[in-house]
Amino acid sequence: MIEVKNLQKSYGDLEALKGLSFEVPRGQIVGFLGPNGAGKSTTMKILTCYMPASAGSVSIDGHDAFEAPLEVKKRIGYLPESTPLYSDMTVYDYLAYVAAMRDIPAHDRDARVRKISTTCGASTFLGQDIGTLSKGQRQRVGLAQALIHDPPILILDEPTSGLDPNQIREIRSLIKDLGRDRTIILSTHNLTEVMLTCDRLIIIHQGAIVADGTPEELEQREAQNPTIVLEVAGEGVDAEAVLKAVTALEAVTTAINRSNAHGRVTLAIEGRDGADIRPDLHALAVEKTWSVFELRRDALDLEGIFRQLTRQA
Amino acid sequence: MNHTWTLARRELMSYFNSPIAYTAIAVFLLLAGLQFLYGLVTPGAFGPGADFFEANEASLRVFFEGIPLLFAVFLPAISMRLMSDEQKTGTLELLVTLPVSEMQIIAGKYLASLVFLAVTLLFTVPYALTVAWLGNPDIGPILGGYCGLFLIGATYLAIGLMTSTWTQNQIIAFLLAAMICSGLYFVDSLVGNVWAATRPFFESISFKAHFQNISRGVLDTRDLVFFLSLITIAILLAAHSLESRKWKA
Repeated sequence: MIEVKNLQKSYGDLEALKGLSFEVPRGQIVGFLGPNGAGKSTTMKILTCYMPASAGSVSIDGHDAFEAPLEVKKRIGYLPESTPLYSDMTVYDYLAYVAAMRDIPAHDRDARVRKISTTCGASTFLGQDIGTLSKGQRQRVGLAQALIHDPPILILDEPTSGLDPNQIREIRSLIKDLGRDRTIILSTHNLTEVMLTCDRLIIIHQGAIVADGTPEELEQREAQNPTIVLEVAGEGVDAEAVLKAVTALEAVTTAINRSNAHGRVTLAIEGRDGADIRPDLHALAVEKTWSVFELRRDALDLEGIFRQLTRQA
Repeated sequence: MNHTWTLARRELMSYFNSPIAYTAIAVFLLLAGLQFLYGLVTPGAFGPGADFFEANEASLRVFFEGIPLLFAVFLPAISMRLMSDEQKTGTLELLVTLPVSEMQIIAGKYLASLVFLAVTLLFTVPYALTVAWLGNPDIGPILGGYCGLFLIGATYLAIGLMTSTWTQNQIIAFLLAAMICSGLYFVDSLVGNVWAATRPFFESISFKAHFQNISRGVLDTRDLVFFLSLITIAILLAAHSLESRKWKA
């Protein structure tokens, strides 16, 4: 159980976190989502006791991260961003070292290192120097070191960044497997990843939580105010005129010109109070004798939500 | 304690897995050999124009006089990467999120560098054997000299470890440590010679004066306390600097 209350962090004048609060129950896979510099890594660094918060508190299974860091560190496996590892050690030596530091008894270490590296798909290059590994292999070693003491909580900072699509798929299914019996917090700016792996989504923007819920919940919430896409063409039809005619409609609140250069006019239109304005638009098109190529409800997907929520002010 | 030893073992593995350790030891032994035979960094120590054989004296006196100077360059080169490298490559983040305290981390790193120092000193034992084979040296100053070398080396390493927590740039860590070490070695002759009134004070804080006492075979508590307190201060400052990331901004 992770409890974060009113977490704040400033670096000098820069406010990196402006009061984050959330709770993660046991066994949930949570995705932190947000643009670069949103505060995802900062939050993770505070959770793992790498650095303290300026204000607010983090408690993990009832242990405060600032007061009892050793207790907290024991319960967490951490994969930092960009997977820093000792490049002059072999994979086996490195994992055995982490196992020793994690208080795994000497007689269990060999078995544990072999088991975890099999789980993470690192068993084929145990004897290789870390410096010679590919990005995907490094990531596996990074995951293995985070898992070696079988922690109830895993914190993974961008576990799939820099990997190719096949590697991403493999790591993703590994994370899903791991999440069956432990709590995982991972950060990413890849939406597909979150949709496919996470039970819950926390979108962070400029140091604050802007959305928190299951992927389905977030999609539903946004579906209440749909965008209508209208694509028309015709003799002497230009974007200016169409835009003007559409915005003049009573039921329309906003219309945005999304036209491409191929001669057709495309608009993204929102109706008042989520009203379905497609009949009105059809009537307008008939009246103006526009040829309609498309008139559809644009179901906003997570990507759209993300873009909307994290638009720069 | 277990964690400290595990950390030290890993550090030593890194030292001896890379060519840096061997290169550094080789260069050091070469210079140490020249010092032993010709008084490389202490010209005239065997008498005008003389070398070890011409001086016809069965002792390691000149060797012990020169090694602290070589150490002031050699040991900072060994200690510079201890913490700087961890900061530069980001492995520090994994290191401090392991269930260990800052003090254990520093102690582990320091222990590893002391083992390295001991290994280096072991490689110079053949000089002592040579002297024992050629003549009949007084054993007291030789044992005292080695104690002194280990103490002064341990102090240099503690200072080097401290400067390497200050920066992720190994060169800066090296230069700072070499400057502090050689500065404190020469401080009595540098300032004391120009301004005679300050000489007693600078002798009391100079590495050279304290080292010379020990290497004569006189193990005085004052000299011991001097080196041990410098080591303690440097180690505490190093742990403190590692902890400073946790200060609430």
